[in-house]
Amino acid sequence: MDDKDASDRIPDTPLFDRKRSLAGYRINKMAMGLSKPENREAFRQDEGAYLDRFGLTPEEKEAVMSRNWREMVRLGGNLFFILKISAVDPVRITEIGAHQAGMDHADFLRDRLGKK
Amino acid sequence: MAKLIGGLGTSHVPSIAAALDKGLRDTPDWKAFFDGYIPGQDWVKEHRPDVAVVIFNDHGNTFFLDKVPTFAVGCAEEYRPVDEGWGPRPIAPFKGEVDFSWHFIDTLVENRFDPMICQEIEVDHGLQVPMELFWGRPAEWPVKVVPIFVNVIQYPIPLPSRCYEMGRVLRQAIESYDSDERFVILGTGGLSHQLQGARAGFVNPEADQAFLKDIADNPDKLAAMSREQYVEMFGSEGAELMMWLVMRGAMDRDVVVRHKHYFVPASMTGAGMIVMENKEAAAPAAAA
Repeated sequence: MDDKDASDRIPDTPLFDRKRSLAGYRINKMAMGLSKPENREAFRQDEGAYLDRFGLTPEEKEAVMSRNWREMVRLGGNLFFILKISAVDPVRITEIGAHQAGMDHADFLRDRLGKK
Repeated sequence: MAKLIGGLGTSHVPSIAAALDKGLRDTPDWKAFFDGYIPGQDWVKEHRPDVAVVIFNDHGNTFFLDKVPTFAVGCAEEYRPVDEGWGPRPIAPFKGEVDFSWHFIDTLVENRFDPMICQEIEVDHGLQVPMELFWGRPAEWPVKVVPIFVNVIQYPIPLPSRCYEMGRVLRQAIESYDSDERFVILGTGGLSHQLQGARAGFVNPEADQAFLKDIADNPDKLAAMSREQYVEMFGSEGAELMMWLVMRGAMDRDVVVRHKHYFVPASMTGAGMIVMENKEAAAPAAAA
């Protein structure tokens, strides 16, 4: 599945449709698990083992473990779920945005968000 | 019968909650944003609503993708803050207006809306933040709440026109409710923002300002727009704005705008607030 899927009529804007939801189910379920303190602890202790509990494919696992946000979204991850990873391993949402936009964080703040 | 005294619209960005939790209210990033809400807070203090109907979306906190209700209505005694990953926020639980919730659910179904009925459910920042923006952070909330959850994440999301129609049924439910309680309705979400894809960070201040004008003067236009138009104009997550149409659909055609505020960026979002009253019910002196 590519970011420029035929069903996405608005450029660079992945809509969370049936296909993405099905593709991303494992990643999103894993991330949803981080709503529980015991799972956050398990993620901290042994991230690979925690991810295995949800049956992530090697490709999905690699995307999560390398904090490759763009790739996680490409694989069907939805920001509202995968953002919970940042509760365990802190990163600003604007950094996640900049990463997906392929921009330097300072440029992203200035050029996309109009921050002075 | 119960009375609708106002329609409020506001963003519900989670970073607003984080800014409050971290004591950042008066920092350069946030001061102008929060100061803009003071007139809205004053309006609430002056008009003393008893009940707040809050239309919002869960953000993958209460509902997972295994069960996704298009519309869900809470009818619980109490709504506690849900753990979004950082632990539940230390704010007072919200008290429910249980009798009205059931009356509203009855009225919805009689009008061919069939919501999920939730007797035990937690609420995320989508409800928390609007309440804090208008009522501050009291030890106990001075209003009861009625949460309406709208799915704006998993496609197919509902049509904007459907949200608008639900507002009409909400008005009918309020005006047929045997009580002397005073109601406000909070439409929440938006304004423009996009969190996903290479267009992440998209904001559209011009479209946001136009929305804040149209929601008062030309809601039919906003209700007639397609979901794709919302996404294109306001970003993938900016489509949340259609939830303001539930609030607006409950109001008269002619409204008076009491207060309006716009600020960009609140984190990654164009953030806005509006306070409206029905023109007919508005005090003549203030309406002039």
